[in-house]
Amino acid sequence: MTDRILPEDALPAIDAIGAADIVIGIPSYNNSRTIGHVVRAAQAGLAKYFPKFTGVIINSDGGSKDGTREAVLSASVDYSRLLMVSTPLSGVHRLSFPYHGIPGKGSAFRLVFRIAQLLGAKACAVVDSDLRSITPEWIDLLVRPVLHAGYDFVAPYYHRHKYDGTITNSIVYPLTRALYGKRIRQPIGGDFGCSSALVSRYIAREDWETDVARYGIDIWMTTVAVAEGFKVCQSFLGAKLHDAKDPGADLSAMLQQVVGSVYSLMREYESVWITRQSSEPVDLFGFPFDVGLDPIDVNIERLLTAFRRGCEDLADIWAIALRPDTLRAVRNLASSSPSTSKSFHIEDSLWAQVVFDLACSHKRKPLERGHLVRSLTPLYLARVASFVIETKEMFAAQVEDRIEQLCLRFENQKPSLVAGWCGEDSATAQEFEVSHDSAPGV
Amino acid sequence: MIRLLQEIFEKALARLGQHLTTYVPPLMVAVVILLAAYLVAKVVRWLILKAVKGISLDRFLRESGLSSMLDQSGRMRSASLVAAVAYWAILGVGLLTALDVFDTKLTSQIIESTVFLFPKLLTAAAILVAGFWLAQYLSRSVLVWAVNENIPLARRLAAVVKVIVGFVAVVIAADMLSFASQVFFAAFVIFAGAVALATGLAVGFGVRGAVQRFLLQQGERQPGEQEKSLFDHL
Repeated sequence: MTDRILPEDALPAIDAIGAADIVIGIPSYNNSRTIGHVVRAAQAGLAKYFPKFTGVIINSDGGSKDGTREAVLSASVDYSRLLMVSTPLSGVHRLSFPYHGIPGKGSAFRLVFRIAQLLGAKACAVVDSDLRSITPEWIDLLVRPVLHAGYDFVAPYYHRHKYDGTITNSIVYPLTRALYGKRIRQPIGGDFGCSSALVSRYIAREDWETDVARYGIDIWMTTVAVAEGFKVCQSFLGAKLHDAKDPGADLSAMLQQVVGSVYSLMREYESVWITRQSSEPVDLFGFPFDVGLDPIDVNIERLLTAFRRGCEDLADIWAIALRPDTLRAVRNLASSSPSTSKSFHIEDSLWAQVVFDLACSHKRKPLERGHLVRSLTPLYLARVASFVIETKEMFAAQVEDRIEQLCLRFENQKPSLVAGWCGEDSATAQEFEVSHDSAPGV
Repeated sequence: MIRLLQEIFEKALARLGQHLTTYVPPLMVAVVILLAAYLVAKVVRWLILKAVKGISLDRFLRESGLSSMLDQSGRMRSASLVAAVAYWAILGVGLLTALDVFDTKLTSQIIESTVFLFPKLLTAAAILVAGFWLAQYLSRSVLVWAVNENIPLARRLAAVVKVIVGFVAVVIAADMLSFASQVFFAAFVIFAGAVALATGLAVGFGVRGAVQRFLLQQGERQPGEQEKSLFDHL
């Protein structure tokens, strides 16, 4: 039944290969400029670090019109320059297929996982096609913990610019860590390694036609692995340098897909997260080192303008999404003088409560879910502005400490989420500590 | 003369007696029926309020947004809604039964019309509820989209969508009841035309500056500019 996932020409190609030990998946859509480098890195990584294993690189393409698939099939590596200790027993196979279903990264991954399953792969890794910083070592770091250390899921650990990965830093990492108790620093990193057992579990699930098919895939993979008790670890991959996303892409749609997926999975794994307290570190492989990063400029005034506008226009929807005291605190922030933009600050406790309130509303208002999560956009932008202002003069390590503080706040405030989730709003209202007066205005 | 007067008086008395024997018993029965219906309605409402927890229906009303649409405070409970419906239904049935006791042409017509109209009334009510719910849903969608896309006059845009969809629901409901459907339809066409004209004029004159600013901002967001970093987060 699941073979409706496969395109017609996939089965003969899979039959021709027969079996494989390692599958590397690369989803793509119009990435001809960068995908050649990614394929070469994967090919070199397989040849150099896994010479005794049969490797297959699968490009799962979303209908590119810029020759992406041709770039995949024509990419080649000069093995003589890899300084390999042993010669690969077999060459690395390369396949490229268009995937079926809802256009998106998730659908692309589904095809990769299905082929990996049919090939009987022991390990499967997926990497983004727009990576500029990928090296052959990434393949080793994503696959070896699965093949040689018995891990089921390898999450990436990157150095990123302090203003990069703001959805991760401000929502997804603190929330998933507080919920499931595992400190996976990049839960939506995009480059993962998985065992055959986990791949089978992914394929067996029936929620592929949801936001999982799009940007929700990364958090879905991480959450399923953590919540269902698979053995997880992280690998340090260095810097993540990749092409900027399409500037025309809809930020609120991305938020809906990523944050909406987190909230949807909260309902499914309610029994798992509701009893978990605090968090524990997750094994980290690789050798952490400092790297140079692309600078990122942020227009704070534009972010705050979007927030003020949201406060004016979305008050009715926020009244559905947020508890009265949370809403009051948010309004107080917006109603202060615009001249104080440089000292604008959202308390961690208020931000955590916004994210928690929204989770509870998301559960209770199924027909309004899209509106609720999309209406988070101006609040999220305000939080980004607050974070940028606060960390302007900080070094990377200090910023990391600051994110750690936010995570601890999420963990400490988790009882209010549990109470709100179970419908005990009034009991938690008193526990909510928001200093209305101490928050400087916009 | 006296005899004549006596005859007239006797006839009047006889007619009155006939009227009394014709109408008073049914009237009394009607009053009793109405009273009984009123009492039954009260008791049923009380029983429903006490007995029906209505948790599932409450959840449906809350999750669908119907409770906040029907009651701005959003605190409507399904038990009180069901109780109110049952109360008025019993009173209505009691009233029709009471009218039926008179067995006149007029009361028969009233009962017939009511029974004939009732399914249509229910359908029209359902159309109105669904229409207003859809109006609210679409208006919120437009509002969130417009704010996130930095479109000028987002709230007014959302309000226009709400009014138009609500108006469509009213026109369909009126057509269902054969109630001034032509008038409503004509009003709708005029209204839609007026909205289109107003939008055109507003874009042409009133909010030209706002649109220019908006387009300018959009132009500033091209690749290579600062805002791209916001989309670089995943």
